[in-house]
Amino acid sequence: MRRELILALVLLPVLSLAMVTAQEAEEAPAGKLGDKGDGSRAHPVHRIPLIAENEDGEKGEQVALDDELVLPFSTKWTCGECHSYDIIKHGWHFNAIEPNAPAGRPGEPWVYFGQRLGIQMPLSYRDWPGTLKPADVGMTDYRFTQIFGRHMPGGGPGETKATDMDEIGRQYVSGTLEINCLACHNGHHGQDQGGVNGYAVQVSKQNYRWAAAASCEFAAVKGSAAAMSEAFDPFMPEGDDKEPHVVYDEGAFNADGHVLFDIVRESPNARCYYCHSDVFYTSEEGHDEKWTHEEDVHLKAGLTCVDCHRNGIDHDIVRGYPGEIADSNNPMVATTTCESCHLPEGPDVPEAGRLGAPVPKHVGLPTVHFERMSCTACHSGPWPGEKTVWAKTSRAHRLGTPSVNKAPETLPHIVAPVFAEKDGKILPHKMIWPAYWATETEGEISPIAIDVAEKALEDVFKDLEMPETGDWPGITDAQVAQALTTLNGIVDSNAVYVAGGSVYRLIDANSVAEEADHAAGEPYMWPIAHTVRPAAQSLGIRYCTDCHASDSPFFFASVTVDSPVASETPVVKDMVTFQEISPFYAWAFSASFVFRPFMKYVALGAAGILGIVLLLYGLRALGAVAKVLAEDE
Amino acid sequence: MFSTITILVFLATLLGIIVHWFAYPASSECRQGGAMSGLIHVFTLLLIEQRSSLLGALKKLCYLLAIVCFVVLALTGFYPVLVRGEHLSGYLLMIHATFAPIFAICLAVLGITWAGANRFANGDCPLLQRLIRQCTSLAVPQPEQGPCRCTETAQKVAFWAIVVLALPLILSIVLSMLPLFGTHGQELALTCHRWSALAFGVMVLIHTYLAVRIRIVQ
Repeated sequence: MRRELILALVLLPVLSLAMVTAQEAEEAPAGKLGDKGDGSRAHPVHRIPLIAENEDGEKGEQVALDDELVLPFSTKWTCGECHSYDIIKHGWHFNAIEPNAPAGRPGEPWVYFGQRLGIQMPLSYRDWPGTLKPADVGMTDYRFTQIFGRHMPGGGPGETKATDMDEIGRQYVSGTLEINCLACHNGHHGQDQGGVNGYAVQVSKQNYRWAAAASCEFAAVKGSAAAMSEAFDPFMPEGDDKEPHVVYDEGAFNADGHVLFDIVRESPNARCYYCHSDVFYTSEEGHDEKWTHEEDVHLKAGLTCVDCHRNGIDHDIVRGYPGEIADSNNPMVATTTCESCHLPEGPDVPEAGRLGAPVPKHVGLPTVHFERMSCTACHSGPWPGEKTVWAKTSRAHRLGTPSVNKAPETLPHIVAPVFAEKDGKILPHKMIWPAYWATETEGEISPIAIDVAEKALEDVFKDLEMPETGDWPGITDAQVAQALTTLNGIVDSNAVYVAGGSVYRLIDANSVAEEADHAAGEPYMWPIAHTVRPAAQSLGIRYCTDCHASDSPFFFASVTVDSPVASETPVVKDMVTFQEISPFYAWAFSASFVFRPFMKYVALGAAGILGIVLLLYGLRALGAVAKVLAEDE
Repeated sequence: MFSTITILVFLATLLGIIVHWFAYPASSECRQGGAMSGLIHVFTLLLIEQRSSLLGALKKLCYLLAIVCFVVLALTGFYPVLVRGEHLSGYLLMIHATFAPIFAICLAVLGITWAGANRFANGDCPLLQRLIRQCTSLAVPQPEQGPCRCTETAQKVAFWAIVVLALPLILSIVLSMLPLFGTHGQELALTCHRWSALAFGVMVLIHTYLAVRIRIVQ
């Protein structure tokens, strides 16, 4: 009996452990049909049923045109039938809000700006030094989605459950902004991201639940969730035209109620361009339309964006920067950089020449350049001029959406190219100078919540005349002082204003003290990777003096210090101040290139003379040997 | 590896010079006075003698300038590699590049003006002459009788080695500035410049030591 008891005591935990393990194995997400390819390069046909989400946020019924309530299809449940949504949502484009997601190399921030209030803030959920967290400026995920969802692929903050009491009700009306798979993978030309009834407009109307459907070619969405009260129940509509509702193209459905999606694995370039376009106002003559600018040389050579920016079902996409291997689990990151395709080096298998990449000659280029500069320094972005230029990006300037201000100087102000040193190498960057109202406690500056600042300063700046170009109206020091006085009555600590690299502190009701080059005002920069120029248009192609001249833009271009505060003379900094190099050294080294040809002639001449001496005396020595040999005969 | 070898080679060279200095004291070869007076004499040679011709004065100036340039080039060239473990760059590079063409000019002038005096002649190396005569039975002249001229001969060898090494030293860096070599060629040129600079530096040390020794003896 005792032996049986001991046996039972030993076996019980073992059996329990085995059962728990088996249960866990059952709960682990099983790979779905579309999670892994079978090897075929052909596109799978997607003639599939549309699945809606029910009022509990779970999988609902198949969409049918004869339903009493025709709901928008949900990408989460429609695409999720065959592709693991729970895996995809941790991909790079969606995981910014995850605290454990690697931040990776600093990239483009989301820019919140207010023309009247002199606000321009680079925001990011990622730990990119120089950006502000949305929560730090009092912005909830729901608010963030409403402002920036127009250029988000959904997911991330768009799917966060609202916790703010006001927003909980609104989110029930609007739904969540699911990952819009079609934003990237719809190969149909009717995919509408930025049109007048497209995805971006639906987001602005808080029609999050309907946005993905509105973007596809066979559905139209009308009404606005934003116009509805919190009492509105989208699952029990009253039939008012103002209510958000979807109208499907009947011809898109077959007899089984299935629709045909033109789904492509490899996203077309145009899909990427919707969020990743940029324009640089380099032309003094105003030739800044896209047809006057070249595309990336890789695209012109026949490649697509996703030839390099690859990912699997986890959507851990290759960003393509050196050192990405430390931040990513994508097995392709180590072999998908400029070097890995263009340079004749590789691990065991030669990687050079992949995708037809030419191996560069770099004739006459000292190898120190590869240690001190990135490939993009010479090959990417606009050719530098005497002064940085305004740049616009899709996400900062909502390019590709209706009613965009097309003036070059419209806010937010991004300047480029800025050749700045990061981690020991010089790279071309886009740059933004933050401007925001803040508090200062024991030297620490923290931004004031946007809503608080906007409400408090509404009256202070109400008479400012707003330029039609979308530029700053030009705030005076007195107005800054007035605003700070107003804010001091609201916030607990001293209010300050951060702008143009400076911090403005209140002296009295009409004047402020400016502390220049303050850490809180440092510009945020992110590297320019595209547009890649061909070798024949790279820096240094003509001669060293493309960069090594005492007036070369690479070192001495004027970088605009952008500020909402009015200034009689434009404030600029020399490019070299961002390169961790002494300006005098940069000038002296560049100036020395004036003598470089002289040095070459002298050295070659000296070598020639020494060669002649050697030849002359060598011949004489040879003559002596010949004489000895001849005498011997 | 280059750093280690460079340090070892320079140490071996200096050690060799010191050993040679004590093993074969210059005072034993002195024709008049002692080693100290010889050293004083060598230092006075830094000054231009009033009886020197214009060409002689120019040659001396050229030599002194070459020595100064060599010291600057060696310090700026080897210091960052050996001490800081990095490539030559920054102000040191600018100094290096400023002195380099002057040194090249000095080398060319000294090459022309000293080549005649450094021709190998009968009796420079009696041992070799006798060896060739015995082994080949060629009509090699009989070595001249006289005092040992090993030091002079060694200096001549060092001189011609300097002239020979100057070519890869100069050309490796100048040609890399021209649009001729790709990345691999650039790396090769830089490697060539480093190693020839090492060999050149050793030869200059030996040549200078022998020149001083000969002056002391004279």
